[in-house]
Amino acid sequence: MRPLWPLAVITFKEGIRNRALYGIFLLALLLFVANFLICGMIMQEVGKVAVDVALSAVSFSGLLLVLFVGINLLAKDLDRRTIYMVLARPISRRHYIWGKFLGMAMLIVTATAMLGGCALLSIGSVRWAFPSYFPRFAWSPVLLALMLITLMLVLLAGMSFLFASFATSSFVTLILTVVSYLIGHGVAAIKALVESPAAVGIEVSATTVRVVKAAYYLFPNLSLFDIKVQAAHNLPVSWTYLAGTVAYGLFYTALSVTLAGLVFSRREFP
Amino acid sequence: MVSIQGISKTFREGLSSRKVQALQRLTLEIASGEVFGFLGPNGAGKSTSIKVLLNLIRPDDGKATILDRDVSDRRVRRQVGYLPENPYFYDYLNADELLWFGGRSSGMTADDLRHKTPALLERVGLLEARKRPLRTYSKGMVQRAGLALALIHDPAVVILDEPMSGLDPVGRKMVGDLILDLKHQGKTVFFSSHILNDIERFCDRIGIIAGGRLRLVGELDKVVPAGETLEGLFLRAIADDFGGLPS
Repeated sequence: MRPLWPLAVITFKEGIRNRALYGIFLLALLLFVANFLICGMIMQEVGKVAVDVALSAVSFSGLLLVLFVGINLLAKDLDRRTIYMVLARPISRRHYIWGKFLGMAMLIVTATAMLGGCALLSIGSVRWAFPSYFPRFAWSPVLLALMLITLMLVLLAGMSFLFASFATSSFVTLILTVVSYLIGHGVAAIKALVESPAAVGIEVSATTVRVVKAAYYLFPNLSLFDIKVQAAHNLPVSWTYLAGTVAYGLFYTALSVTLAGLVFSRREFP
Repeated sequence: MVSIQGISKTFREGLSSRKVQALQRLTLEIASGEVFGFLGPNGAGKSTSIKVLLNLIRPDDGKATILDRDVSDRRVRRQVGYLPENPYFYDYLNADELLWFGGRSSGMTADDLRHKTPALLERVGLLEARKRPLRTYSKGMVQRAGLALALIHDPAVVILDEPMSGLDPVGRKMVGDLILDLKHQGKTVFFSSHILNDIERFCDRIGIIAGGRLRLVGELDKVVPAGETLEGLFLRAIADDFGGLPS
């Protein structure tokens, strides 16, 4: 931990002061205000919509944070050669990756805590304005949903580090991360579909099934971290599910960052 | 103190993976307390040699050690200060935070840093600008911040890659005085440049590299014969690579 901490701290400071972050926060604030307006207009299932929109705003803003601030934190080090000043210290390449990741994870946790606070305010204000639409509402599922969104973003950041460890440009890292996000959110549903195509009256080739299964096992299943529906409807989420999902997220993150460190330790910086 | 033994390095360039031999069996020894000037034209292999010493590049062949430890051992760099050519730092950090990172990552205590940071920043003329983001610094200020970062942990070996690059005359004087200070403190300084005046002013020994091969090495007052200038010696040493001496 000792060689990681100073790098994690400066990575966090560099990230939190990045002007792109202000833009992301502004967008999130607009979404939270829009939440109040949307709920005022639809006047149906207001409680569920309020929770869903607020959590989606946190998730979307967090995704932008990982894609446009997080990836740059690593890519700029390589493009502008700031990595020289880090690796000229008694810091190995593997420590470098872990230190940067730790700083990025601190940034994600801080940003989602702030965004989450705004989301809670947004939900609270809608609830205050339209109390009759919140008969079964509880805060704890919303807090659990926020925690899982944070973990999903940390996992996505870990994957972006893995891609950055071998990609030659930040654009490639960005594309691979976006693709992982899209596959991660849709692959479980697609796998269920291609495994029982008769249920929906479609035909699927054996190759398609194999490709979808490969993607399912290769990419993390990010839909596991999405419990917005349960939070919006105050449906029970078992502790077994939560513990399993947290363990899955932590394992996948550690695996991605460890692999990134291994790949990175072979790189040279001419 | 600093030892490079038979280092060779080849890079592959472009889509055709054309091989470029950056270093060819380079051997150099720098003694403790020596200020060594590494001279060469652009693309001669100066920065590549320095990057090998910092383990940023791994040689194809040969071995490099600092303080008798292989340079691949990260602990060696606790005793090494490095100023890259054209340094870049994080945009949103300030000089205080930069030195905090440099000191803490090299094992300094928070107390040590509190005492040493203002003194060093004053020495490089950045005390008043210490709280300003580094992205607002001029090129010379960035260079001086880089020098402070290289020295914050009081390293035994200081490696400076073109330290005068981009500095105005005041900045050059400041950096020059710092190098002389390091010399008086008995530090080992490995310093690359193609500014011959600087080499003559600061160095005990010099090495001339061209085309990745060491052409000449020795004590400054011995390798430059009486009546000869360092410039003349330098041009003769690299003449093979440039098709003879310029008229």
